[in-house]
Amino acid sequence: MTVIAKESLIGKRVAKLDAPEKASGRTRYVHDLDLPGQLHARILRSSRVHARIVSIDTSRARALPGVHAVLTAADVPWQRPLGVGRDQLPLKGDRVRSLRDEIAAVAAETVEIAEAALRLVDVVYEDLPPLTDVRAALAPGAPVIHEGRPPTKGAERPDAASHPNVAMTFDYAQGDVAAGEAASDVVVDGWFRLHYVTHCCMGVSGMIAQFDATGNLTLHSNTQVPFLHKREFAEILGIDPGRIRIIQPPIGGGFGSKLDIYPFEPICVFLAKATGRPVKLVFTREEEFLASPTRQPVLLRLTSGARRDGTLTFRVCETLHDNGAYTSWGATTPFVMMQTISSLYRVPHVRYHTTAAYTNNPYAGSFRGYGNLQATFAVEQQMDELAEKLGIDPLAFRLRNAQDPGEVTPQGMHFRTCGLKECLATAAGASGFLAKHAAARAAQRAPGRVKRGVGMASMLHVGGGAKIYPSDGCGTILKIDDFAHVTLITGASEIGQGSETVLAQLVCEELGVPLDAITVVNNDTDITPWDVGVHASRTTFIGGNSAIGAARKAKAKILAAAARSAGCAEAELDLRGGHIVRAASGEAVTTLAKLLRSLHFSDRAELVMTTHYYEPPSRHQDAAYKGDVSAAYAWATQVVEVEVDTDTGVVRLVKVTGAHDVGRVLNRLGIEGQIEGGIVMGQGYALTEDLVVDHGVVRNPAFRDYKLVTAPEIPAMDVHFIETMDGEGPQGAKGVGEAPAICMAAATANAIANATGVRLRELPFTPEKVYRALRSAAG
Amino acid sequence: MSVEHYWAPRTLDEALGHLAGGDVTILAGGTDLMPQKNAGRVRLGRGLLNLSRVDALRGVAVEKGCLRIGALATITELLAHAAVREHADVLAQACDRFASDQLRNAATIGGNVCNASPAGDTLVPLLVLDAEVELASRPNGSVATRTLPLAAFLTGPGRTARAPHELLVALRVPLRRAPAVGRFFKFGTRPALDISTISIGFAASRDGGTLRDVRLAYGAVAPVPMRSHAAEAALDGAALTDATIARAAAAAREDVRPIDDVRASAWYRRELVFNMTRRILDDVAHA
Ligand SMILES: Cc1cc2nc3c(=O)[nH]c(=O)nc-3n(C[C@H](O)[C@H](O)[C@H](O)COP(=O)(O)OP(=O)(O)OC[C@H]3O[C@@H](n4cnc5c(N)ncnc54)[C@H](O)[C@@H]3O)c2cc1C
Repeated sequence: MTVIAKESLIGKRVAKLDAPEKASGRTRYVHDLDLPGQLHARILRSSRVHARIVSIDTSRARALPGVHAVLTAADVPWQRPLGVGRDQLPLKGDRVRSLRDEIAAVAAETVEIAEAALRLVDVVYEDLPPLTDVRAALAPGAPVIHEGRPPTKGAERPDAASHPNVAMTFDYAQGDVAAGEAASDVVVDGWFRLHYVTHCCMGVSGMIAQFDATGNLTLHSNTQVPFLHKREFAEILGIDPGRIRIIQPPIGGGFGSKLDIYPFEPICVFLAKATGRPVKLVFTREEEFLASPTRQPVLLRLTSGARRDGTLTFRVCETLHDNGAYTSWGATTPFVMMQTISSLYRVPHVRYHTTAAYTNNPYAGSFRGYGNLQATFAVEQQMDELAEKLGIDPLAFRLRNAQDPGEVTPQGMHFRTCGLKECLATAAGASGFLAKHAAARAAQRAPGRVKRGVGMASMLHVGGGAKIYPSDGCGTILKIDDFAHVTLITGASEIGQGSETVLAQLVCEELGVPLDAITVVNNDTDITPWDVGVHASRTTFIGGNSAIGAARKAKAKILAAAARSAGCAEAELDLRGGHIVRAASGEAVTTLAKLLRSLHFSDRAELVMTTHYYEPPSRHQDAAYKGDVSAAYAWATQVVEVEVDTDTGVVRLVKVTGAHDVGRVLNRLGIEGQIEGGIVMGQGYALTEDLVVDHGVVRNPAFRDYKLVTAPEIPAMDVHFIETMDGEGPQGAKGVGEAPAICMAAATANAIANATGVRLRELPFTPEKVYRALRSAAG
Repeated sequence: MSVEHYWAPRTLDEALGHLAGGDVTILAGGTDLMPQKNAGRVRLGRGLLNLSRVDALRGVAVEKGCLRIGALATITELLAHAAVREHADVLAQACDRFASDQLRNAATIGGNVCNASPAGDTLVPLLVLDAEVELASRPNGSVATRTLPLAAFLTGPGRTARAPHELLVALRVPLRRAPAVGRFFKFGTRPALDISTISIGFAASRDGGTLRDVRLAYGAVAPVPMRSHAAEAALDGAALTDATIARAAAAAREDVRPIDDVRASAWYRRELVFNMTRRILDDVAHA
């Protein structure tokens, strides 16, 4: 008799399934794909920030040998507006509104020929007054960027929509701010300025478009939202969405950058249509800096109040978003920002307003954290400022106002699990926060050119999807073959975050098979069932629950068959180690493969194939932005220790101690990587990364002057997991993708203030900026 | 227009012969040339001359009272060479702050010098070491050489006194007898892979408590890397007291002529010159 012990993969350190391919250089990204007969495309972009196009002459470019097509807006009169705001055409015909604007596109035999052809396109511009300051954009008489355009979605309140440059507005309120102000013993108030950064995916943007003989369109695309994009492409191209197939090659990073549809994508399709050949369009790195979206730059004013006893009374937040020339997801980051303002801590009275205004600057998209880095930066600095004014330590003040499990906030979010207090206590305890904070504070005026300090910040983020669309669901198809090999076909996209590994783990856990008995298929809309896309830290939670649902159906079918042949009840059997076993003893009854064959090759002729669609029990928010938008919420506290060199302004991160409420750890190796990577991304946002946009021109479109964090600067990290076992989460887990980047800038600002007594409200904390602030504080 | 001839000669003679033909671009490690070409900032000539096989341009040796460094010596080779540590420690320190391993394996000292960037990291230590450049050409069949002080060779940002038909063959650093101190400091926003916002090179000989033969140079604060003679004068023959150090640092801050660019403002560069000169000298005083 063979006895098979119960083994669990949950919480283990599991190497990513795609790691061997990637580590050995075998992975074929879109850049590496070449289709037979393929042409190469390049795009001509505006050389003016704001101008009328007087004429475009492509005759010289068309005449160049090797050129197959040169397209301008005049060649595609049927093109339709695209993007979140539907406020731009893929090819601009009469006017350019930013330097990235697409004017012409070439398909040629080689990239070099396509580039040479671009240089032969003659464009005559007539400059218009550029508008590159978001405050100036709202001044009376400012040049209007989009004439005759009403503000888009989100702008339910028409009052704020008076200026023609307003792209979007958001208003949210809870309680009665006047009452909150009256009840306050201390109030802090400040302006915060958040800068441009960009995703810097290792894989630059690119796609291949191909029509077949009957007009079906196949796109090899890096999109994060393949199913939504089928509809978008169909609308823009005026074709039936059913004729569009999207295949995602392995994607070299997303971080939110591939959530909207961008002009280059339909342009690539136009060229494929015009030439009848597959067309490949891949950005240069410089183009990636110039023409992919940024994180939303924000000017933010926050006022917060508290009573003497340390309870928060109110917050008023007003933000001005530089929308850039067109509207993408960046404009909608207030959805997330207001959650942090209203619900990271208990605060009874809140008023929130955002105006997003058009300018001639680059436009912002979605980026890991989605506005939360910006909101947390302000909220958590004011938590420290209030604590200081009240004479309470920063930890006690936060604990006093922290949310508890079971809380339903005035915004309607229901925190079924909430580990915030444990996160605070764990991060503070493990880092020795209180003692270090007090010591650094006492040493602010002591001699010595290098000052040490410690700062903390916490965060709240959706951890169970986010119901932005009518559905937040994900579909799974699962099949098990006659050798007991499992194929998991999921709608959930992999962008390097490790979701396919976690989904495989969850299925293996249900079916009692080892990880090498599973293949994940997740990249072809003709095969995979619908999913809303990879965003909002949702894939493990939503895709995971969907996969578990399909696996449980398969398991039920298998156990029913096994019980029939063993002549026992289903409940007496279980699946372990590729076997059917007696649940009580672990004694093997038969192998899973044998049982499957007995079903398949019998007169029942039955295959084990199941489907499942999971829709989380969250709600679409109402017109006042209230509602339980996610099925679970993630929490974290990070403590950052810094050294500030007062001679240079260099801020060195010494150590980051993090405590993350992740519901439950599924893949320990994966989640550690996710958190460490997020910390480094947050560090770059806080200290080094800065896309310099000067009068509409990106001044540093290269890694030489756009400073990513490099290995020697990465701090020591001590990460703790708080496992609150979420009731709705897959095996208790919650989403964690965005969380680790969110606190870093705020905690670093607090640490610098602790070290030097100087509070910085403008990112990034580059040496010169820090040095200037220290000097002007010294007088 | 594109490259019509590509040469990879093995001897100096051949290399100089190709150069004499005119409109030739010299390629060493290519780590400046290729990015500049791709960004459209330099145009390649009709001929492209790859130096990498010319053995006469390699090697580091002590000869005739000099440390002679071949133009093709890579940053990695300089870092590994004992004679460089011994006779030109400040140069070795600069190599240790240079780019990354991949770059150091390809980047040559000759390329760094001929590229003549105000931020070139070997230039500042070479200035404080009183280095000379050795140039060769073959104007009419026979090889001619000339030697120039580095300070005279560097004429502006990206500009040198090299004639188009001349090749930089080697750098020569005179050996000094007295026990020496040397320091290199580079400021960038991050510790690795960064272009200097400012750099400082310092060398002197020690005579008990006082410094003699003081040389202090600055990078990225003027059109060419420069010595601050006023700061040197403040230190020469003086004991390193706090007052002397402050005087020298202030003199250096007066001497430099920085500009505003995407990396830093002129004001901040001056502040760094003062603060970091003070820090280096404090460090020397307490060493
Ligand atoms: C990512 C990166 C990081 C960098 N970091 C640094 C850094 O930290 N510090 C720093 O100083 N520089 C840095 N550089 C610049 C560059 O690597 C150095 O200047 C390097 O020393 C150039 O040497 P090379 O052999 O590659 O020169 P090349 O690019 O081959 O040549 C540079 C120029 O000199 C000319 N030339 C070369 N050799 C000779 C010769 N013997 N005679 C006459 N003319 C010649 C060439 O024609 C060309 O004009 C960096 C570059 C990159 C791409």
